[in-house]
Amino acid sequence: MNIIEMVFFHLYSVLQWYFRPFIKWFLRKTTKLCELQRICYGDRVGTQRTCNIENSLMLSRTKDVKEVVTFLDAVVKERRFIPSNFHQFLEPSINIIIRVKKINRKIHDAFIPSFRLCLQQIWCYRQLIEEVEDLRCTQFDSNNTSHEEKLLNLWDLMVPDKPLEARVSKDWQYIGFQGDDPKTDFRGMGLLGLENLLYFATEYPQVATHVLSHSRHPKYGYTYAIVGINLTSMAYYLLKDGSAKTYMFNSKPHLPDISLFHKFYCYLFYEFDKLWIASKPENIMEFSMIFKKFENAIRTELADPASVFRINVEVDTI
Amino acid sequence: MGFLTILKKLRQKEKEMRILMLGLDNAGKTTILKRFNGEPIDTISPTLGFNIKTLEHRGYKLNIWDVGGQKSLRSYWKNYFESTDGVAWVVDSADARRLSDCAKELHSLLREERLAGATLLVLANKADLPGALTLQEIREALDLDSIKTHHWRILSCSAVTGENLLEGMDWMLDDIASRIFTLD
Repeated sequence: MNIIEMVFFHLYSVLQWYFRPFIKWFLRKTTKLCELQRICYGDRVGTQRTCNIENSLMLSRTKDVKEVVTFLDAVVKERRFIPSNFHQFLEPSINIIIRVKKINRKIHDAFIPSFRLCLQQIWCYRQLIEEVEDLRCTQFDSNNTSHEEKLLNLWDLMVPDKPLEARVSKDWQYIGFQGDDPKTDFRGMGLLGLENLLYFATEYPQVATHVLSHSRHPKYGYTYAIVGINLTSMAYYLLKDGSAKTYMFNSKPHLPDISLFHKFYCYLFYEFDKLWIASKPENIMEFSMIFKKFENAIRTELADPASVFRINVEVDTI
Repeated sequence: MGFLTILKKLRQKEKEMRILMLGLDNAGKTTILKRFNGEPIDTISPTLGFNIKTLEHRGYKLNIWDVGGQKSLRSYWKNYFESTDGVAWVVDSADARRLSDCAKELHSLLREERLAGATLLVLANKADLPGALTLQEIREALDLDSIKTHHWRILSCSAVTGENLLEGMDWMLDDIASRIFTLD
């Protein structure tokens, strides 16, 4: 079965490679629009449109288009693709594409803003991957005062009515770290894990405390911080393999940036907590299974370009 | 032919072994498992619950169970004891502070009836870190020489460099094989 699928896929890509230019030429002659225009006019704004534009740009064999892609990728590598620089980098790129695709600016003035938004989303997403990777590779360092402050701040936000006994203390297990010093728990996810936890506690304090109280449930409890770090890992992989594009490109008016990544994480945390409690697990050893089930459900949702995600902030306060 | 012999013959056909990886949290169990399986090891999160890997090595089918080591999970370790052929006990060589904790957990594990006869491999992991204790220090702290109930061996290793992982695993396989696959 697998081999048949592989052969089919291979055949499909070979055919696509040879026939794509012909199909494009045919459509161009009959519709008098280039592929980029057909996408911008025909596809729904958001994930569907932006992903198709990205695909079209990446498959392009036009030298000028390839150069635009390489140029914007280089900007991202230097982490310079930020809103204040958009004009500087995007206008020349758009002009080049309009010239090579022979698009009449006067007739197609609706195309340009739509195409510009796609470019912003595509390269913001690529830069976000770099930024997230930077944070993940930064190890939590006890000698760095800003890291330490963040950690202590997390405690104050999660448990406002009880001061931490000592920096190294069993207290940390209350919010679900493994031992008496959280620093080793960050391991593979580095500072990214801490920043995620901190954002959840800062931006959605009620939701975070609500989720923490669930994690303290005598029967269905779990370790809040460790689950949080496992969710950081999940969000990181979804971002890297491109699955998170659906979330990011449908999040009008936000462009993909680090706070949107944090919001994605908060969404995952809230939803995981809901699933965990609803599953009524026998004990914590069911975590691996429920976590896998959760990931599959999220991946299914992300596979539909029309999915819109919103964290439902209404929380019972009783 | 007794029931046990039939069972042993069945397993001989499959040449299957069940290995349990245990130890305190942050010892490096998951990292060793991933390293052994040739997977990337730089994005590992603390294990809640367990991981299972089935891999082929030297013609044996190994089912390796890696169970989370944090304190609240240790009471569930016993759920995984049944028909275990070998235990890989992973120690963080750089964590001198919790070595006595580690010794206590190990010895209470060895008193388990369902683990009687299982081969014990102690992996003194993170030996490449500055400040790591020597093999002799760990051997004494864990009081390994008092163990008479199990075949055991200690090796210093590093999941990051891969040093000694294969040697350790090979020794454990040989020891298990000489016990369960050579009856007839």
